[in-house]
Amino acid sequence: MRLKRIVPTPLRSACLLAALLILPAGLFAVVRQPLHIGVLAYLGEEVAEVEWAPMAKRLAIALPSHSVELVLLDHEGMRKRATEGRLDFIITNPGHYVELEAELGASRILTLDSDGGGNPAHAIGSAVITRTGRDDLTRLEDLRGRRVAVVSKEAFGGYQVVWREWQALGLAPDSALLELREVGFPMDRVFQAVRDGEVDAGIVRSCLLESRPELDGVFKVVGARPQEGYPCEVSTRLYPDWPIATLRHTPPALARQVAIALLALPAGENEPTWAVPADYQSVHELFRELQIGPYAYLRAPTLMALAERYWPVLAAMLTLLVGWVLYTVRVEHLIHIRTSALRDALAERDAIQERMRKDQEQADHLARLSVLGELSGTLAHELNQPLATIGNYAQSLVRRADAGRLTEAATREAAGEIAGQAERAAAILGRIRAFAKKRIGQREVREVAALVSEAIDLFRGMLAQAPEVELQDRLPPGRTIEVDGLQIQQVLLNLLKNGYDACRELPETRRKLIVMLEPYPAGIRIAVRDHGPGLAPAIRERLFEPFLTTKPDGLGLGLSICQTIAEAHGGRLSGEAASDGPGMIFTLVIPDHD
Amino acid sequence: MTELDANLIHVIDDDDAFRRSLVFLLESVGWQVVPHRSAEDFLQACPNQPPDLGCIVLDIRMPTMSGLELQQRLRGEGWTAAIVFITGHGDVELAVQAMKRGASDFLEKPFKDQALIDAVATAVRRASKDRADSARREQALARLARLSPREREVASRIARGLPNKQVARELDISEKTVHIHRQHVMEKTEVGSAAELAHLMLQADPRALD
Repeated sequence: MRLKRIVPTPLRSACLLAALLILPAGLFAVVRQPLHIGVLAYLGEEVAEVEWAPMAKRLAIALPSHSVELVLLDHEGMRKRATEGRLDFIITNPGHYVELEAELGASRILTLDSDGGGNPAHAIGSAVITRTGRDDLTRLEDLRGRRVAVVSKEAFGGYQVVWREWQALGLAPDSALLELREVGFPMDRVFQAVRDGEVDAGIVRSCLLESRPELDGVFKVVGARPQEGYPCEVSTRLYPDWPIATLRHTPPALARQVAIALLALPAGENEPTWAVPADYQSVHELFRELQIGPYAYLRAPTLMALAERYWPVLAAMLTLLVGWVLYTVRVEHLIHIRTSALRDALAERDAIQERMRKDQEQADHLARLSVLGELSGTLAHELNQPLATIGNYAQSLVRRADAGRLTEAATREAAGEIAGQAERAAAILGRIRAFAKKRIGQREVREVAALVSEAIDLFRGMLAQAPEVELQDRLPPGRTIEVDGLQIQQVLLNLLKNGYDACRELPETRRKLIVMLEPYPAGIRIAVRDHGPGLAPAIRERLFEPFLTTKPDGLGLGLSICQTIAEAHGGRLSGEAASDGPGMIFTLVIPDHD
Repeated sequence: MTELDANLIHVIDDDDAFRRSLVFLLESVGWQVVPHRSAEDFLQACPNQPPDLGCIVLDIRMPTMSGLELQQRLRGEGWTAAIVFITGHGDVELAVQAMKRGASDFLEKPFKDQALIDAVATAVRRASKDRADSARREQALARLARLSPREREVASRIARGLPNKQVARELDISEKTVHIHRQHVMEKTEVGSAAELAHLMLQADPRALD
């Protein structure tokens, strides 16, 4: 045990003093060259001082031309000083040595032989300890999912040695353990954490447990494996003991001198003794397997390794990315929906406005146009009165005559009333004709095709399910005529409406209307053709008589008024059966105005 | 011709010629007709429903008070008169409204003479029946009014056909007392049987025995 060894005794000090005193006085006159030995003070400077100072003194005696200085350092401090060339030798643990071997060209010259006669190549291992009675923890792999205390993850004997064993068992400490707790130096804290139940197990250097008699029976070693000739229970393979190594700039002669001097040191009880350099291959293997230290490069760049190492970060980033994508898509989607809704709303508004505008135009147009419209409501009511009255009297006369109670006075009364009501009806009709005639005279020059197209549009606009209207224009382009445009459109509307009414019950193919524009001697001809059932000859002859109608709700005034309009323009309106198939053709002839 | 004599037909129309023609037509089949130039004229002539009112032939559209308004007003005053509406062109909606408010019929000008005559006859019959029903109800109520409260309780049970024994139990009186009440009920209401009594009570109130 190293700790046992470093305890100085009065006797040993006395010997050293004596040795110094017997040195030849002349040697002291020589200028001593400084020789710096860096020592890893892993248990603190005080402990290290106690441990290594005797050796330094003896070395100084053996090397009279040098002044030996111990430089107590931690891992980083040693690396730094060595890099700066301020150390000639280093004494450190095998793990650290191997690291510096790669980094700084450290080269071992001797290996510590702790037990003086043991096997320096198999000197260091680790014990995984748990409380006695934890029967569930007997093998190293039983620690999966447990809490384990270590002094530091950087510690060689305190952690990395066990790590290698776990790795060999397929147990990755970072993920397989519930917790890997770093309790820090000194290693006693590991015992404490295990004893207090803060953790299930702890890792200590081999033989540390055996050096503490007070802990006897408190702990047991997990996964202990037999090691021939090894005095302690150990859970791992064994590794070489600490080396003393030269650095690149250390003169080989000096190295040889120091090696010889150290080998020549007497092997006393509890004294650190040195043996020939051990093989540190096993340490290399450990580092290579764990991909740490000089073999950390093995771990670095593979994508898989990165992914494994950084998977939480990657997962988080991926989640963020997916979230961002989803968010973006959703926002885009919403924007799309809202945009189209807005567009629809705007389009609808435009459509409504357009329709309102058209409706308004149409209403205006019809208001100006519609002789019939102006007439139908009041006209019907007005005509109803005399007609109903005449009917009543006439029927009453028949009734009384039938009953044999018809008196002359009654006959005279009824006949007089009937005549009066006939005059009343005639007066109403007279007003209509006068009204229609009064409208003519506002002549204007209009392009025929445009005038007719306008009437067709108007007609189609009035109906929910307008039929197809084909315009066949055989007039020279731009042919104009001087007419009362509104009146002529009124006639066309009437003719189109008649054609539509005639075909309303027919299949759609026969509902088509054709408007033909043709030249006529000194004028034009506008014909409207339907494909309806046509009219009986008897009706055809009386087409333009007032009150003649074939429609259930018709007044029989439309064509009569249309004819009046045509005549007022010096033209005429006629209707005949179509020669090619069913239907009627109504023809409006309008001469050019003088 | 008692129906024709007892029922005067009131014609209300603002068109003089047409109104005269209506009178001429209705008189042709023997009705007694009273013409009015407006709703106001009619109300002045008949402040209350005349007992000999057969029906009212009413133009739906008139300048000041319309036919509909007159109908509303008469209903409000409790008139039961049957009204035949005459509508001009395009007044069908108004006519439907009038029918919903209890008009007897409506005719659209110009109409066939028979249509008007049938409508008036139907309305008059309805009015006569209403009058008769009303008279019978008055009479029945008067007869039942002669009963004392206790007799009325007994009467309604007899009318439902309950035997004296059960009536006695329900009213908690002796069977003999029921028998005496029964006799008084029959005498006072001048009926000879439980069935006649039931008929009388239903005349007074169609839901009397519900």
